[in-house]
Amino acid sequence: MDRRRFLETAGAGGLALVAGCSAEQVETEGSTGAPADGGTETRTATGTESETGTTTGSATAGDETLVVAAYPAFVDAPSTSPGAWLKRRFEEETGATLRYETPDNELNYYIERARQGADFDADVYVGLDTSGLIRVDEQQGSGQFTDPLFAEAGDLAGSDRVKEGLRFDPEGRAVPFDTGYVSLVWNATADGGEFTAPETFESLLDPAYEGDLIAQNPTSSTTGQAFMLHTIERFGADGYLDYWADLRDNDVVVLGSWEDAYAAYESDEAPMVVSYSTDQVYANREDQDLQRHRIRFLNDQGYANPEGMARFADADAPDLARRFMEFALTPEIQAGIAQRNVAFPAIEDAPLPDEYAEYAKEPAEAVTFTYEELKGNLGTWTDDWARRFASG
Amino acid sequence: MSRGSSDPAHAGGDGRGRSADRYALPVLAVVTALLLGALFYYPVATVLVDAVVVNGRLTAGPLVEVLTGEFYVGWLARLLTDPAALVRETLREPGALGTLGLFGFTAWQALLSTVASVALGLPGAWVLARFEFPGRRALRSVTILPFVLPSVMVAVGFYSMFGASGTLNALLSALGLSELDLLPSLGAIIVAHAFYNAPLVTRVTTAAWESVDAGAVETARSLGADPRRAFRDVVVPQLLPAVLMGATLTFVFTFASFPIVLALGGARYATVEVFVYSAVRRLDYHEAAALAAVEAGVSLTLTAIYLRYERAQSQRRRDTRPPARESLLPDSWTRERVVSRLAVAGYALVVAVVFLGPLASMIYGSLTVEGRLSLDAYRFLLRRQTAGASFQVRPLPAVVNSLLFGVGTLAVALPTGVAMSVLTTRRFRGRWLVDALSMAPLAVSGIVVGLGMLRGLVFGVTAFGYRFTVTGTVAVVAAHAVGAYPFVVRTVAPPLESLDRSLVESARALGASRLRALVDIELPLVRAGVVAGAAFAFAISVGEFDATVILAEGSGSYTMPVAVERFIGRRLGAATAMGTVLLAVTTLSFLVIERVGGEGGGFGG
Repeated sequence: MDRRRFLETAGAGGLALVAGCSAEQVETEGSTGAPADGGTETRTATGTESETGTTTGSATAGDETLVVAAYPAFVDAPSTSPGAWLKRRFEEETGATLRYETPDNELNYYIERARQGADFDADVYVGLDTSGLIRVDEQQGSGQFTDPLFAEAGDLAGSDRVKEGLRFDPEGRAVPFDTGYVSLVWNATADGGEFTAPETFESLLDPAYEGDLIAQNPTSSTTGQAFMLHTIERFGADGYLDYWADLRDNDVVVLGSWEDAYAAYESDEAPMVVSYSTDQVYANREDQDLQRHRIRFLNDQGYANPEGMARFADADAPDLARRFMEFALTPEIQAGIAQRNVAFPAIEDAPLPDEYAEYAKEPAEAVTFTYEELKGNLGTWTDDWARRFASG
Repeated sequence: MSRGSSDPAHAGGDGRGRSADRYALPVLAVVTALLLGALFYYPVATVLVDAVVVNGRLTAGPLVEVLTGEFYVGWLARLLTDPAALVRETLREPGALGTLGLFGFTAWQALLSTVASVALGLPGAWVLARFEFPGRRALRSVTILPFVLPSVMVAVGFYSMFGASGTLNALLSALGLSELDLLPSLGAIIVAHAFYNAPLVTRVTTAAWESVDAGAVETARSLGADPRRAFRDVVVPQLLPAVLMGATLTFVFTFASFPIVLALGGARYATVEVFVYSAVRRLDYHEAAALAAVEAGVSLTLTAIYLRYERAQSQRRRDTRPPARESLLPDSWTRERVVSRLAVAGYALVVAVVFLGPLASMIYGSLTVEGRLSLDAYRFLLRRQTAGASFQVRPLPAVVNSLLFGVGTLAVALPTGVAMSVLTTRRFRGRWLVDALSMAPLAVSGIVVGLGMLRGLVFGVTAFGYRFTVTGTVAVVAAHAVGAYPFVVRTVAPPLESLDRSLVESARALGASRLRALVDIELPLVRAGVVAGAAFAFAISVGEFDATVILAEGSGSYTMPVAVERFIGRRLGAATAMGTVLLAVTTLSFLVIERVGGEGGGFGG
């Protein structure tokens, strides 16, 4: 093509793209059912309507649509994820349509929307944890985020089956649907088969384990945060930094994310990594050598990280959202989610195959900080850790 | 792109065509300004405003907190808070000054990375510009491949190449040498930064080298200068701006580096961007904005200094006719030739270890499970493609989208970049400031840009009862173009500036419009720069992640790097297989771009 004509065409194309863009968006906004007054008004109107219009009881959902917000791995993990299966089962059960939203920023995406006063479609959030809930509550009151983001769960059928120790929301909005335990994964074939992981936090400092542990940065990783919290539980808020200084002297490797750390572990950088106690479930499925995937609960404890679901306060389909949460708590669905998410059910009597229990290890004692203990402290603890161990 | 027009259909021109010609450049400049404003400055402002506004009131609080925090800036904090005491103590005990804190360390690792990138990149330019060998053009066109690789792939490649049980150690122990413990370390960060940025130095320097005027070298020789002297006095001054530009960009990029630092260095080598990330993650926007603002300030200042230098340097010349290349395998050997070929061989070895090693390790990783050859990872891609749900990321749409966005980015970034190059070569007061501001997309934290796009574009603005939002394909292309066009400007503007004005003036005197003079006379002379700019623009688009993942949400406009990220699991086979697909698709694209762009006709070879 002639160079000049190329320039002109491309230039005009660029203009058309920009112009087309905003016009198209106006149209889209108009056609998604926002009333003529549109804008931020819509949000409040919808919110009020759904709350006053709430009725209990569950008729067939018919052509209703439920929008479920989740973290990406819930629907899209390369191994297994519960998303597709859960959607199919829920649609069979209710006749409704389930649509997923999986923004990369996860919960923060919705907090941001609330702050900016930008309406959204999601009815339920799947994947809340204690620190996420604390962020939600701390942010309420900033920007246009004035009304609560999540509604109280209320009386959900089956919620009495949820294990008591897992409930992490004092206000009863988030209902746990599964849990994981953070532990060490270790390689018994290291050092020519001689290697054995230490049994306590204290013995992890033994010079024999110099350079043997890969952990994660608590500011950028959930497992990293859980492991740091476990050390705080163990050594106290005024002792954990000293413990970490000792760990550093013993050459602990702290990488940015669980993915980085696990990849380094798999390429034999070190014989121990901070990870999840369900590691052998994967290893078994993939015919890996289980000796390379041993689990160690330091001091016989595992840090519990329950995951919860909660209904957005201004959900367009609050009844369907409630049905979804009840459905997710039924024993069969609990077992299905746990196996596909490679985690533990939130209820006692989920019918898991025996084999699953063999490879998914539970600690003798589960430890975790409560909402009240973490609120106001989590930021300080993480910040102090980062400042002490960065740029050193 | 055919070279200029000897096409008679465009020679005369009616009135309408000419006025279109006249307005084309200003219109393109306005388009650029609008794109920048809507897709960069406005979104970024929605985030950075938190650095100066707290609870609706204007304040310097967050910025002061950063600039007077010893953790952030080391002894500079005391210079601001208590200069007298600082001077007193330093005079008494000169060694006690201490460090420059988080910013000091970040700048230090960026400086080391820059030195490493230049050291590793320059010989590449020498080889590509001075020697002829089979596959030279293909090699030049794939130089900037590392640019498009997601950092997680690079980290994986580095661990399997340089890790405790990596390929390098296997080689060393096979040779009876002692194994090395290279990871994680500051050195690993720096080599990985060089892996990304040395190709940048190579590419821009090669482009400059291919535009060197051989006539000037011959003149110097005929005046009695020996080859070394002629090189130092004639060639070096023409290469230096390109080298310094490569160095400046490398510093700016590595100053804001973050996933590589976290993956290969560990917590103790955290950079400013790591703290921006963690502040955004816990929604502490004031700290994030203040840190990012200071970070961008440093980068922009450096860019502005470089741009002033670049202006001062430009030399006038009428033609570009680079010296002929030597064959890598000469017919007869002199001592000098043996030495230079040994140097080339040595460099090839370094390239094999630093660049090919991690890439090959990544590809090998996608083809093995527990050390056994297996196609499982590719079977996963196939299965995901055929049986994946609509809400899951599938490989083929990712490939198609990436190519589509890459071409779209070229279509927008190339003309806007060239137009901006022409306009900024005009002389006006404060021109360097305009230039520096238009380079800002390279200098602002990717995390801040991402958050800004979420607020400014995805959530949109409410006006006239409507909420205006910008997402999906068009937004992704526009965002990529904004990130890519500075590269076009930086590879096109310097050679354009150094062209002899009288060439354009005589063309204009003969009745050619400004656009016509540009297209017919100038661009063919700076073709090497245009092609390099095009390659960069494409690479930026293909490799972009932060903006893409935010703007593509829910619209199915995800790209290859997004697919790589989604396929990361407990095992990395699926992600590395997708990474290998990305590598293959990008390699082919670069070969096509270089083929279409041509060698540079009469002045390249």
